[in-house]
Amino acid sequence: MKVVIAGFGTVGQGVAEVIGMRRELFQKGFRQKVTIVGAFDSSSLVKNPRGLDPEVLVARKAGTGRVGKRPLDGGAEEFIEEYDFDTLIETTPTNIVDAEPGLTYIRTALNAGKNVVTSNKGPLALKFRELTSTAAKNKVQLRYEASVGGAMPVINLSRELLRGEQIYSLRGILNGTCNFILNRMKDEGLPFEQALREAQEMGIAERDPTYDIDGVDSACKLAILANAIFGRDVTYNDVMRTGIRSITEDAISLASEQHMVVRLIGEINDKRVEVSPRMVPVGHPLAIGGTLNIVQLITDLAGDITVAGRGAGRKETASAVLSDLLALMNEGRGKRR
Amino acid sequence: MKVNVDLRLKDIPGQLVAALEPISKYDGNIRGVVHHHDDRVGGRITVNVIFEVRSEQSLDKILSTWKEGEVDIAKIDAFFETYPIQYLLVGSITSKELESITKGLEAMENVASIEIRYTGTANSSSRAALVTGKASKKETLTTLESFFKQRADKHNYMLIRGLD
Ligand SMILES: NC(=O)c1ccc[n+]([C@@H]2O[C@H](COP(=O)([O-])OP(=O)(O)OC[C@H]3O[C@@H](n4cnc5c(N)ncnc54)[C@H](OP(=O)(O)O)[C@@H]3O)[C@@H](O)[C@H]2O)c1
Repeated sequence: MKVVIAGFGTVGQGVAEVIGMRRELFQKGFRQKVTIVGAFDSSSLVKNPRGLDPEVLVARKAGTGRVGKRPLDGGAEEFIEEYDFDTLIETTPTNIVDAEPGLTYIRTALNAGKNVVTSNKGPLALKFRELTSTAAKNKVQLRYEASVGGAMPVINLSRELLRGEQIYSLRGILNGTCNFILNRMKDEGLPFEQALREAQEMGIAERDPTYDIDGVDSACKLAILANAIFGRDVTYNDVMRTGIRSITEDAISLASEQHMVVRLIGEINDKRVEVSPRMVPVGHPLAIGGTLNIVQLITDLAGDITVAGRGAGRKETASAVLSDLLALMNEGRGKRR
Repeated sequence: MKVNVDLRLKDIPGQLVAALEPISKYDGNIRGVVHHHDDRVGGRITVNVIFEVRSEQSLDKILSTWKEGEVDIAKIDAFFETYPIQYLLVGSITSKELESITKGLEAMENVASIEIRYTGTANSSSRAALVTGKASKKETLTTLESFFKQRADKHNYMLIRGLD
């Protein structure tokens, strides 16, 4: 399978490294190679039809800040359309206003008959229906396990292993940063601002934490899950959303006296698709601390199924991208027809 | 309402059927019957019956039928199934608002118990109030949710629900 990596930041580099690490698995399990034939970031492009060395790409990015030597010069779309490869691994930044540049890259690849594996929430949270039908029309696959919950395998689990179940509802913690902050507020009695600052100092929260603490990130993920698992036709804008900014340490300690913790919970059921802070009894799976992500699926035959995992990180997110690449190879989709 | 009774019945055929009949007659729903053959007092055996009834009136009718039919009731426990009420309010919550909430909840049907704890001073902009309690009907939870949601929207404070 010939792949091109779009965006060469944390996830893009992690993916390149993991492709290098799993050479043997591709060969032994599928009698195939996964070859990186191209990569580009915001300003540069590199390509070689015979394959690029992942280590060299990562080293060049670390050394020069660019993955390639040629300037990109707005040529990404044409490159995706015309260059010969099988799968686009799309890892550009999430943009929840117009989903660009990822949306154009994904659309272009699908229309050019290339599979897409993405970690980018924006295009899915805003244009899920359009993109899945474009994929179907072009008889290619669009896979997106990494877009929700990083390494936590919830999408492929629900759509593939739990295909025979009727899944009634889902709830979970989809943002590790909020969970960390809420947990610190409870454990140390910290006010919100201070817990946030601590998270920023530890590199858990971004300098602009709005996406996380206002529930935007969780709402994007919930919109994707609502489409992917429940077949709902919703976008990010349809998700009811309350963030954690106004939660006080007093509120958390009142809940704590009654053996409850406060968590930012995403919930999908027949009544709502909603992200909001909720009280969770201590000892309940969703009372989980730290930065883990966790999802509970309520199903008819299997009962409750709970999965937890690391919601972010270079290798962790690359692991979810890898699971999508393997699924493509498993279905004989490694090569374009 | 769930009812758990120990009945003492004469150890002769037909006694059990006769004892269970009033439960069905008054719309009860039998959930379990266990014989305790080794627990024999004065020629009677003990039978434990668990059933559900819709109202106290139905239970009264069943109990009086048993008394008339000389069915001994050795022990009875009746309890209502309840649904937890859990709301955490955060923001500028005045004493007047807390009063209105209390009144509103007291006036509501099927709210079996309610407790409100709060922190902060009356005029503080960041007060927290935790409302916990029990409802005796599931439908009441929906009424409660819109009650709290309307108040929170109107008075501009944050509402944190429990997990349903
Ligand atoms: N990091 C995680 O743990 C994680 C987990 C799950 C999902 N995700 C999602 O995965 C995606 C990538 O995340 P990340 O952490 O790897 O972000 P990142 O480190 O900021 O990397 C983004 C990459 O995209 C490139 N890029 C920006 N604009 C571009 C354009 N117009 N054309 C081509 N490339 C462009 C950037 O180029 P430059 O290097 O030149 O700036 C950079 O290489 C995001 O959508 C994110 O939400 C991330």
